[in-house]
Amino acid sequence: MRFLIDLFTHPSAWYSAHRLLVAQMGINSLLAVSIWVTLYAGMLTLANVGFMAIGGYTTVIMAIHLHTPLPLNIACGALLAGAVGVVIGLPVLRLKGVYLAIATVGFGEVVRFGIILNLGITGKGQGLTNPVADTNAILPVWIVLGILVAGLWRLTRSKLGQAWAAIRSNELAAASGAIDTARYKLGAFVLGAVLAGLAGGLDAHLNFFIDPTEYAFNRAVLVLIFAFVGGILVPAGPVLGAVLLTALPEIFRSANAYRDVLDGLILMLIVVFRPQGLIGRRPDRHRRTRPARPHAEPATASEPVSELATPEPGP
Amino acid sequence: MTPVPPVPPDTDDAVLLELTGVRRHFGGVKAVDGVDLQVDRGEIVGLIGPNGAGKTTLVNLVTGHARVDAGTIRLHRDARDVVDLENRPVHRVAGWGLARTFQNLRLYGELSVVDNVIIGMHAHRRSDVVSMMVPVGPGARGRAERAERARALLARVGLDPDRQGRQAAATLAYGDQRRLEIARALALQPRLLLLDEPAAGMNNAEKDRLADLLRSLVADDGLTVLLIEHDLRLVMGLCQRIAVMDFGRKIADGPPQEVSADPAVIAAYLGARAASAAGSAGDVAAAAAAVARSSVGDARSTDPEAGGAAEGGFGVAGPGTARRSVSAGTTLLEVEDLHVAYGAIEAVRGVSLSVAEGEVVTLIGANGAGKSTILRTLSGLVRASSGRATFGAVDLLRAGAPAIVAARLIQVPEGREILGTLTVEENLQLGAWHRTDAAAVRTEIAQQLERFPVLGQRRSLPAGQLSGGEQQVLAIARGLLGRPRLLVLDEPSLGLAPRLVEEVFDLIAGLHTEGLTILLVEQNAVRALQLATRGYVLETGQVTVAGEASELLANPRVQSAYLGT
Repeated sequence: MRFLIDLFTHPSAWYSAHRLLVAQMGINSLLAVSIWVTLYAGMLTLANVGFMAIGGYTTVIMAIHLHTPLPLNIACGALLAGAVGVVIGLPVLRLKGVYLAIATVGFGEVVRFGIILNLGITGKGQGLTNPVADTNAILPVWIVLGILVAGLWRLTRSKLGQAWAAIRSNELAAASGAIDTARYKLGAFVLGAVLAGLAGGLDAHLNFFIDPTEYAFNRAVLVLIFAFVGGILVPAGPVLGAVLLTALPEIFRSANAYRDVLDGLILMLIVVFRPQGLIGRRPDRHRRTRPARPHAEPATASEPVSELATPEPGP
Repeated sequence: MTPVPPVPPDTDDAVLLELTGVRRHFGGVKAVDGVDLQVDRGEIVGLIGPNGAGKTTLVNLVTGHARVDAGTIRLHRDARDVVDLENRPVHRVAGWGLARTFQNLRLYGELSVVDNVIIGMHAHRRSDVVSMMVPVGPGARGRAERAERARALLARVGLDPDRQGRQAAATLAYGDQRRLEIARALALQPRLLLLDEPAAGMNNAEKDRLADLLRSLVADDGLTVLLIEHDLRLVMGLCQRIAVMDFGRKIADGPPQEVSADPAVIAAYLGARAASAAGSAGDVAAAAAAVARSSVGDARSTDPEAGGAAEGGFGVAGPGTARRSVSAGTTLLEVEDLHVAYGAIEAVRGVSLSVAEGEVVTLIGANGAGKSTILRTLSGLVRASSGRATFGAVDLLRAGAPAIVAARLIQVPEGREILGTLTVEENLQLGAWHRTDAAAVRTEIAQQLERFPVLGQRRSLPAGQLSGGEQQVLAIARGLLGRPRLLVLDEPSLGLAPRLVEEVFDLIAGLHTEGLTILLVEQNAVRALQLATRGYVLETGQVTVAGEASELLANPRVQSAYLGT
């Protein structure tokens, strides 16, 4: 509880004491937003930690061997993750539901055990020291996050975003509405990969050292939980989920040994009482409309129904 | 809105869609077996046939939802531009201007009604990712303009954009969801509209409005419509041409009066009663009306031909006999001042009704009048906000669904809710889930399988493979295994071919004669009232008329609103 009290009474002292946590919140939020993109398009994928690893290693390797500027390194990491996303996505996105999840978990493990552990340039699993790490670069993480959340929120109203929502809601109907579902799903998957790669690059920059344990399977699951706890209807949901669940262990620090129990309990309570996520409306509310009128009753003055009913000229 | 500029009738290419030898077999099932069909511009073509005849599969082959084994499907975009549709991706076919609705609704349920329509405009939208990044400017203007067009489309199909526009689509009443599917299809600005049972779940007045809408789409907007529909009154009155399918083949194709007189069609689809009525009637309108009336097989009908042909499909006594067998038993179900609200919206507003032992009581009313809500409340599936409902000694508003089923108030839900992956027999076993007398259950399942040969022959098939009519019979049989004291039927004739509608109603009449008490909700109000002892008319969640079924049948207000006479 000290954690919360200090946050409001001594914000600057709180920040200095919890810099690492704030950084972690930011990175986890980015990851949650990256998985949100695929969830919003109706795909359950767990590949994002694998893409994060690609982004992270690319950034550090470029810093070590090419001495290129940081923004370029991070951009290259994100783009490489996106390129891998295209290659992985083309065959894998034919799968649906749990099968897609399993296939993408497989991809994450391939990246971790297959590539990182075998390539000399990645240190063969021994990890890499980041020569240009800056543990103070927390603000850029949150700025990038803010821009992303705002941009993605606007995106949900665009043709692209609405096509994703349609695919999530009913893929068959979406195809019948002239939506090229395969292309839009690949688009979401690749954008998710790019964002995860971006998160990986920023995360690597915050650390003096990266190694494969950061990109393990349990993190992939955690990211998914962040997104669902926060709610997947708006991109701010996953951010809230990530911030809250990342802070939870700190909030319950005084509970010591029972900290994990409290964590788990809170998680269960949220899922039971807010299955739609912390942000988002309950789908079972307002299940039915007010009954329709059987007779054509005259519309009241406030209802310009007749006006709207007239056919409008076509394009 | 004007989807396509009207095509002048003297265009050099009148053909819009041309199917030649189209075939699709699923394993050994010849779903579509060499069908030729031509649809001309500006036509409304009806596609009718028994449940399971292959009508929906045919539409799926055209739209790319199913693969074609053999044959060609050509879309004549104009005289020089002909495209082959077979085995094209669904979105490509849709992009060429073929919009469809689905027999089993496929709305974007959790999205708003307006958004459902806006997403339908996908093919005609430029990519607006960049312009959408700012809340003003061209992006915002485009958004407002689309919302306005969506509202106009909603109003056109008979939905109220102000009242219903922001609701989640899944919260609309069943018939309104069908209308929304049409609005969404129109948003594609199609040249051909493929409608799969658009009138299912609508009453006659609503069907008439649907017919007006389709006529106006063809006349004013130059659309062409291919209509799968079981309501013959609608099909006969609306279509210039009707194609009839049975067992995957086209058995007839021609103007309505020709098709309705065709012996093959009569045998496969209409059934003897409808046929005799259609045969006795000279013109189309009379035939349509007679079909609608005579599918009822009612002895009191004014049409002597139809009345004379009344026979029970399951060899049980007709409704005329059933009505006379009624004796005023003790009150079984008593509902007083029932209120049910969904959130802020009150769907049922102070309804009182009762059902006495041995009665068939029917609730009629428009979509969204609250009928299904009342039934769900009585079964403990929806919570009432106030009121009283007792079933014998059981308080239905407190008991909870399992206790209500144990008290033997059994509901056969709207849409049948068959478990498709389980076998017919397993579905029946589920009906007796709460019972402990395993031996008796086994005997009764055997009895039901014997009583309904369609089920007996398919006992180990997955129930999902049954046709719509067979599934309805299964749903009722499953209900009977709960040994109901009160059987509650929610729209048993939904989506059934006329012949099957007859059989289902005959089955209900037969159950009534056996002494079963029944509460029936049905859009086919004429048929329901002819079967029932008493009826209640619901409007906007309230009972507006109640009385003996015969009184309601004669009530001019009820007639004009629900009976379509």
